[in-house]
Amino acid sequence: MQSANKPIPVRSAHLNRWPAWMDMAQGATGLILVLFMWTHMFLVSSILLGKDAMYFVARLFEGEPMLGKPYPILVSLFAVFILTLIVVHAVLALRKFPNSASQYRTLHQHLGNLKHADSSLWYVQVLTGFALFFLASVHLYQLITHPADIGPYASSDRVWSGRVWPLYLILLFVVELHAGIGIYRLVIKWGLFLGDNAKRNRKILHSIKWALTIFFIVLGLFTLGAYMKIGAEHADRVGERYVPSYHQTESNHQIQTDLQVESDADAESPASPH
Amino acid sequence: MKTIYTDALVIGGGLAGLRVAIGIRRRGHDVVVLSLVPPKRSHSAAAQGGMQASLGNSSMGQGDNEDVHFFDTVRGSDWGADQDVVRMFVNTAPKAVRELAAWGVPWNRVERGDHQSVIDGKNVTLTESEEAHGLITARNFGGTQKWRTSYVSDGTGHSMLYTMSNQAIAEDIPVHERMEAVALIHDGERCSGAVVRNLKTGELINYVAKSTCIATGGYGRLYRATTNAVINEGMGTAIALETGVAALGNMEAVQFHPTAIFPAGILVTEGCRGDGGLLLDVDGHRFMPDYEPGKKELASRDVVSRCMETHIASGKGVQSRFGEHLWLDIRLLGKKHIDTRLREVKEICNYFLGIEPADSLIPVRPAQHYSMGGVRTDFRGESPTLKGLFAAGESACWDMHGFNRLGGNSVAETVVAGMIVGEYMSDFLESSAGDITVSSALIRDAYNKQAKYMAGFGDRNRTENPLHIMREMQELMSANVAIFRNTERLSSAVEKLQQLAIRAQKISVRSSARGANPDLVAAYRVQKMIKLSLCVAQGALQREESRGAHFREDFPLRNDKDWLCRTLATWSEGATMPTLNYEPLHVNKMELPPGWRGYGVEDRVDHPDTAARQAEVDAVRAKFEGGDRFAAQEALMPYSDKLPEKLRRRNARLGEKGDTQ
Amino acid sequence: MSQNTKHEVSSLNTIPVKNVDGLRRLTINIFRHNPEDANSVPHMDSFVIEEADSMTLFIALNELRENQDPTLQFDFVCRAGICGSCAMLVNGRPTLACRTLTKDLPEVITLAPLPGFALIGDLSVDTGVWMRGMSERLQTWVHSQEERDFCEMEEKMEPELADKIYELERCIECGCCIAACGTAQMRPDFVGAVGINQLARFRLDPRDERTDADFYEVVGDENGVFGCMTLLGCDDMCPKSLPLAQQLAYMRRKMALAS
Repeated sequence: MQSANKPIPVRSAHLNRWPAWMDMAQGATGLILVLFMWTHMFLVSSILLGKDAMYFVARLFEGEPMLGKPYPILVSLFAVFILTLIVVHAVLALRKFPNSASQYRTLHQHLGNLKHADSSLWYVQVLTGFALFFLASVHLYQLITHPADIGPYASSDRVWSGRVWPLYLILLFVVELHAGIGIYRLVIKWGLFLGDNAKRNRKILHSIKWALTIFFIVLGLFTLGAYMKIGAEHADRVGERYVPSYHQTESNHQIQTDLQVESDADAESPASPH
Repeated sequence: MKTIYTDALVIGGGLAGLRVAIGIRRRGHDVVVLSLVPPKRSHSAAAQGGMQASLGNSSMGQGDNEDVHFFDTVRGSDWGADQDVVRMFVNTAPKAVRELAAWGVPWNRVERGDHQSVIDGKNVTLTESEEAHGLITARNFGGTQKWRTSYVSDGTGHSMLYTMSNQAIAEDIPVHERMEAVALIHDGERCSGAVVRNLKTGELINYVAKSTCIATGGYGRLYRATTNAVINEGMGTAIALETGVAALGNMEAVQFHPTAIFPAGILVTEGCRGDGGLLLDVDGHRFMPDYEPGKKELASRDVVSRCMETHIASGKGVQSRFGEHLWLDIRLLGKKHIDTRLREVKEICNYFLGIEPADSLIPVRPAQHYSMGGVRTDFRGESPTLKGLFAAGESACWDMHGFNRLGGNSVAETVVAGMIVGEYMSDFLESSAGDITVSSALIRDAYNKQAKYMAGFGDRNRTENPLHIMREMQELMSANVAIFRNTERLSSAVEKLQQLAIRAQKISVRSSARGANPDLVAAYRVQKMIKLSLCVAQGALQREESRGAHFREDFPLRNDKDWLCRTLATWSEGATMPTLNYEPLHVNKMELPPGWRGYGVEDRVDHPDTAARQAEVDAVRAKFEGGDRFAAQEALMPYSDKLPEKLRRRNARLGEKGDTQ
Repeated sequence: MSQNTKHEVSSLNTIPVKNVDGLRRLTINIFRHNPEDANSVPHMDSFVIEEADSMTLFIALNELRENQDPTLQFDFVCRAGICGSCAMLVNGRPTLACRTLTKDLPEVITLAPLPGFALIGDLSVDTGVWMRGMSERLQTWVHSQEERDFCEMEEKMEPELADKIYELERCIECGCCIAACGTAQMRPDFVGAVGINQLARFRLDPRDERTDADFYEVVGDENGVFGCMTLLGCDDMCPKSLPLAQQLAYMRRKMALAS
């Protein structure tokens, strides 16, 4: 008696690798964008530590510490890179969207019936994704074209006197929701941190996701508030560039530690929210 | 009129039917499987506890072999079984388990080292050997001397059915789902297919086949309280009966399972007791040792069920709004064991009772569970009276279970019978017996008869609701033809069933819409079910003895002198009652002559030939004492020429070599 | 020999019958349509039924068919939650009707057929044909060229591995994961969690000789593992609580590595 199981089917010579690569690329671009966004938020929020801190961060990213003087073109180039990632990410994500009215109707009805949190979040992701595509593009276009306009006063003026704050306010919610949901999905999608008890750990990840989103939204609101306040106070001097305290005071105080610079700047800065 | 032609038609897509189909397909014949439901939903999936096969891998299974399995099965059957068939079965069961293992069933395996277990209410440590590590393990089941039941947690049937069904898909076997055979096409001598109703569209179709196999499972739904699925209405058995030619065997042999959840009737596996679970009464008293000091909770099902009902009758049942019940206690097995080895039981308790079996007792009471009776076949699985008609599994009376089936022997039978009957059906197809000349008039007549019959239910003068009639029939059977039977109740049941049969002639189907039409389905099924009920009740009334699951209060002893025989029921067209005949079992050919089972009632009326045969058997055994057990068996009851050649060889075990090819 | 040991009968043990005194009148709204009948238009029918103790939707629907509408179509087989026949939308969510107790539902219950499958009539859908198609496409069986002699000892397997395979094999093909999946609803060719989980089961099984490249062939595309949008309805609605999210991730990783 023998097992006459069916032979293994003959495979075609080449696997179509595109689906795997596109899926990985969608995840990878998403991951980079989320990590970038969170870093970006921390950097921008340096204003909460004082104008000097923010000034330092801005110059840092224009390459000043390494290259001797600021090169705003670096910011432009980086912004182009991010915009490219967004476009790639969006195009890959579009594959998954309903591609006909009937698919859209089916999905809409399905989500309405099911009332299932993680499924409904997908809607949020689609809507925020669309919004992001436009809002982030506007934001990035501005940066690409005016890379030098980053600084405690320049940015604050743009926010307040340039009346960009509503855009940033919307962008803040949209981006943090999208990033939080996206990273949560990505982690589950590839099965990270699920461990031995996948069901329980998924619940924990879900909570962490919301905690992160809320944290970044709160941080963002404070930061935007700080820029708006500086912008409002600086409204009559629009166009003036910030001169950091360590440049102003260099002649008077020859030797100072970094720590002192920071705390002094904090203490002296009228715009500091502390 | 649509007609489909095939070599073999298998009616039923459970384990037995699918295995038959695979066997036929592998021999190169065309086969079509009909199934009431998608095959993976068949009732085979509900077999929880396991499948018996004498592998003898685990420490508590050591020393097991075909002989021990044979003795257990024959004793379990209360000597009602065909001993040749039991021999064929026990020799094939290990092959079946191993075949399924190769096809993908994730049998639980022996793990080396010490393990905590519960035996007879006490914690014990069992030690498994290094050499057995990774082989298929076994659990304890009722009525067995060894731990012999191979299992996959408590989803054994599910795993087996999925594996089997996937194998059928791999073999490209067409399964026509939601198809119900409503009549066999035959000319009084030769069966040549079936008239089939499509349960999606309502259309009637002819399937013309050189050979037809019924594998439709049991007829548990004749009863109100049953563990059986709602599709187990015995339709395959009924259409065989309606030929008037094929006979049904031992229809009165109906098994009641001790542990059905009360009151829903959902099964919790015998594995609960096999793994150490206890039965308790209203006082929390473990009562089984009072009745069965030897096997206790693990006597055979017929015995345990009777003890439970007796105990309830003695006033020790637990009162509830639905009636009385007893408790099954598996708390002592521990949460880990329940979470891994009894997870379906846990889910069922969670969902239907809202309890956690690791902390709470489970309310149970016996309910109808298995149909030992069915289409009578020879050892090849063919009806001796209607050529070309085969049967396998629960729907057949092959007959390896006699008057009581052992737990774990049912799923084993489905696969083993599938393997054997598949081969014999193929032989049949390849022989001149397989040739058919079937006239189109015969097909047309069969078709027209059914079409007319179905249309008749629409008659405006009819008034009866088929579902109400079905309910009455089920209640009647549960009340009068159940665990304890007597002349009074049985004759009243027969009488009332006959009245119901008359009322059933007036069943009205209120909708004539196209499609499945559930009302119509109930209408034609209940008429057939009443016929089956009459076979059961009349068979039980006539059999004036107690044997296995058939217990007569007015004839409490097993009577080998008068009743060592198999009941054969046939139904002539137009008759209102079955015709009963009896087929003797020959004591002087038995390898294991009738005696005490080792549990249950010891008194009996012996057959006059028993003593002589016992002496013969003892002499042969003495001669081979300590020698070759196969030679002793061969001398007592040669059977191997009845097995298909490829299934005759010996099975290997740890310490016992098998026949190599 | 009589054993007089008493076993503690916990006071917790009563058959759970809630609402004993205040049995409700349930309103059950049921989707009705008979595709075989040219005159049938999809609509909802409303039935009123007295709630009973321990009533499940299995009991309720059968009572409706028995006493109110004999044409009502639905599927039950095992009625014990193990065969997967009776999956339907109960108040919008896919679940097994047979083990759903009415006491856990509000007074108004809406029942609809499982979406994503061909409708047979009312609450009955054709999951069987869908599942067979899935099985054929994904080849959900052990592929082995080894010829074993079944008279010989079986091949050994680590006990833990056997347990792991069974964990994934507990799927009952009820279709809840398809009904709970936005992707499957939008794209009928998507194999869903049921298909991907089954392949994960075979990938885990050493008896199956297929390589990752073989699996990639059947599931490495947008209708397979890369089509999943991780909406997680499957994971949350699986009546058998299978670790579907984890298995989808597992197969995705393996397929990504195979690409």
